[in-house]
Amino acid sequence: MTSMSHSTLPASRCRSTRPNEAIRRLCNSRTMDPSAANASSEPVVHIENFKMVFDNRVVIDGLSFDIKQGETFGFLGSNGSGKTTTIRALLGIYQPTAGILQIDGRVFKPEDGKRLGYLPEERGLYKKESVIDVMVYFGRLKGLSHETAREWSLSFLERVDLADQSRVRLDKLSSGQQQKVQLGVTIMNDPELLILDEPTKGFDPVNRRLLMGIIEDQKRVGATVMMVTHQMDEVERLCDRVILLKNGRSEAYGTINEVQDLYGGTTIRIRYSGSIPDSAHFAVSLRERNYAELKFTDGADAALILKELVDAGVQVREFTTSKLSLDEIFLKVYGQEHRSDVAP
Amino acid sequence: MSHHNLRTVVGFEVRRTITRKRFWIATLIVPLVVAVVFGLIYISNSSTNRSLAAQKHATFTFAYTDASGLVLGPVVKKFGGERAPSVAQGIADVKSGRLDAFFAYPADPTRRAVRVYGSDVGIFNNGKYASVATEILQLSADVKIASPTLALLARGAVKVDSTTFKDGVRSPGLNGLIPPLIYLLIFYVVLVMLGNQMLNSTLEEKENRVTEMILTTVNPNTLITGKILSLFIAGVVQMMVFISPIIIAYLFFRSTLNLPNLDLSALVFNAERMLIGALLLLGGFTLFTGTLVAIGAVMPTAKEAGAFFGVMMALIFIPFYAVSLIVSHPGALIVQVFTYFPYTAPITGMIRNAFGSLSIVESLVLVVELYAFGYVVIRLAIQLFRYGSIEYTRKVSIRTALGWGTSRPRS
Repeated sequence: MTSMSHSTLPASRCRSTRPNEAIRRLCNSRTMDPSAANASSEPVVHIENFKMVFDNRVVIDGLSFDIKQGETFGFLGSNGSGKTTTIRALLGIYQPTAGILQIDGRVFKPEDGKRLGYLPEERGLYKKESVIDVMVYFGRLKGLSHETAREWSLSFLERVDLADQSRVRLDKLSSGQQQKVQLGVTIMNDPELLILDEPTKGFDPVNRRLLMGIIEDQKRVGATVMMVTHQMDEVERLCDRVILLKNGRSEAYGTINEVQDLYGGTTIRIRYSGSIPDSAHFAVSLRERNYAELKFTDGADAALILKELVDAGVQVREFTTSKLSLDEIFLKVYGQEHRSDVAP
Repeated sequence: MSHHNLRTVVGFEVRRTITRKRFWIATLIVPLVVAVVFGLIYISNSSTNRSLAAQKHATFTFAYTDASGLVLGPVVKKFGGERAPSVAQGIADVKSGRLDAFFAYPADPTRRAVRVYGSDVGIFNNGKYASVATEILQLSADVKIASPTLALLARGAVKVDSTTFKDGVRSPGLNGLIPPLIYLLIFYVVLVMLGNQMLNSTLEEKENRVTEMILTTVNPNTLITGKILSLFIAGVVQMMVFISPIIIAYLFFRSTLNLPNLDLSALVFNAERMLIGALLLLGGFTLFTGTLVAIGAVMPTAKEAGAFFGVMMALIFIPFYAVSLIVSHPGALIVQVFTYFPYTAPITGMIRNAFGSLSIVESLVLVVELYAFGYVVIRLAIQLFRYGSIEYTRKVSIRTALGWGTSRPRS
C-alpha cells in the first residue's frame, strides 16, 4: 500500500467531515484520487498467524486476515473470542506470542505519524479536566497546532450540541455527552485508520445514530475502518468485509455475501401448487403443504430455476430469494458455542 | 514529533497540576503553618520577655536569709526586701500571709538551689519570685566584681570568631556546610510534597480508563518522561512558593520582624560539593520518582498504592536515625550500608557530601549507582505502565509484565 502522508490525503475526505473553514484549509493540498488508493494492493492492516497465550491459555491461535485501504471491516465474535486482544496486540499494547501484526507494513508505533483513530472498549478521558483542554491535548499529541486543535474541537462540539460545555469538566457531563467527546478525540486529525471497539456500546439511539453518521462520513472520505460490534444490522449496512472469530480462530472471513454463502448461500422460497421436479440446479431443503425452500447448486441462478419449475408445470404463486442474515449466522455460529458451553 | 509530544505532555501535566486546588492547598499550607508557628513563637517570646522583664522589677514584700554571704543589703533594699531571722520564720511568715515571698540563699549557690517560697498568685505570675531572687544574686555578684565588663563576661557574654585551616587553607566551616545541605532540604520537600502526585500520575490514566487512548497516541517513554519532568517543574514552583515569603520578609520587613542580618556573602560554595550534591539530588529524584510511578502502574487504585507510598517515605527518613553516626563515623558499617543502598543513598550521600566525608571515588560510585538504578526503575515503570495500566481492576503480575510469563506488552 502507498502510505499516505499528511499532504496527500484524498481530496474527497476534505468535503464532508470538515467542521469549519479552518479545518478545510488543511485539506487544500490533498489531491489523491480515492479510487487510486483503493486500487492499492498492499493492505493497511496485515495480521498473519497471530498467536496469543495468557497464563498458559491459548487465547488466539493462527489468526490471519488483511484489511484493505478504504474498506470498512467488521471484526465479529462473541464475548471473549479475542477481538479486543487482537486490537491491543495490533496497536502494540500487548506483545504477541507469535505472528505478524502490521499497520502499513510495519509494527505500529504511535510516534511513526500514522493518523490513527482508536475508540477502545474501555473508555475514559481525564475526567477532572475541561472538555476543551482534553480535546486540545489529544489534538496536539496527534500533531495539530494548538490553534487548529482548538478550532477543530469547538467546531466538533458545536456539531454534537456541546458547544456551551467546552469549559465544563468532563466528570460534570452526562455519560452520553462524555461519549461524544471521546468520539471527537477519536476522529481528530482525520484518521487514515479508524479502529472502533464496540463503538455503540453504552450509546443511546441518538448518539448511536450520530456515531453511525460519523463512521459513514469517514468511510465516504476514504478512511479505512475496522469495527468490532455486536450490531449485525450495522455490519450489513456499513461493512465491506468481515471476519468471524470463534475461540481465537477465524470461523469465516470475506465479503458479507461470501460469508452468507458459506452459511447456507441463497435460499429460494416458493408458494406453489403442483409437483416440484427433481433437478440438478437445486435441492429441496424444506417441503410443506404448498410451500418449499430450495437451495442453489453451483452454477444455477434464480431465473433458471424459475423457468425449470414453470416448464415442469408447477404453478408458482410466490417466488422469493433470500440469504441468511448476519444475525442468523451469528446465532448459528455462536449459538452452538453457547450450547456447548452449557452442555454437561 | 517526539519533542513536540514531550512538550505537549509536560505542558498539559504542569498546567493541570498547578491549577488544581489540592496542589495549592498542599503548597500553601506549609509556609502558612510555618508563618503561624513563627508568629506564635514571636508573640510568645515577646510576651515572655516582657513578663520576665516586668517580673525582675516586680514589687512585693519579701524577706531572705543568706548563708553564702554574697547577697548585698543595698541591692536587696532596692527591691524592698528585708532579712529574715531564720528560714523557719521566713517560711512561716509566707504561710501566714505577712510576706509575699521568702528566699533562702544557700552557702554555695553554684551547687545548691536557692529556695524560694511565695504565696500562690497563679502559675505564670509565680515566676516573679524566682526572677527577683536570681536578679538580686546576680546584681550582688556584679557589685562584688566591680567592673561592668567583667560582670558581662562572667555572665557568658563572649563573642568568638573561629578560623580553622585544612591543608593550609582556611576551611569554610558552617558557611561551607549550608549550601550543599540545601539540596537535602529540596529533596525532602519535593518528595514529601510531590510523592503522592508521583504515585497518582499513572494511577490517574488507569482509574480514568485513558490508558489505551493515550498509549496509541503517544510513546509511553515520552509520556512517563513528560510526567517526571512536569513533577520536577511543579516541585520547583513549590520551592519558589516556600522561599518567596522568606525572601520578601527578609528584603522588605527585616527590621520590623527583627530578623538577623544574614551575611550571605560569607557562605562558601564549593564547586565540587555543589556539583556532587546536585547530581545526587537529581539521581535520587529520578530513582524515587521512577519507583513511585512504577508502584502506581502496578496498583489498581490509589488506596492500595498508599501502603507502598508509606514505605517509600519511611526510607527517606531512615538515615536520619543515624545522622550523628553518618557525621562522626562515615566509615561505620551501617553508614556504608546506608551510603550504598539505593533508597537510602541520596540522603546519606548528601549529608556526607555536605560534611566533606564523601570522597571523589565514593561520590562517583554513588552517582553512577543512582543513575543506573534510576534508569532501570524508570524503564521498569514504563514497562509496568504499558502492561499494568491496561489491567484496570486488578494488581499486575510483575512477572508477566516483564515478559517472564507467557505474554507481555511489546518492548
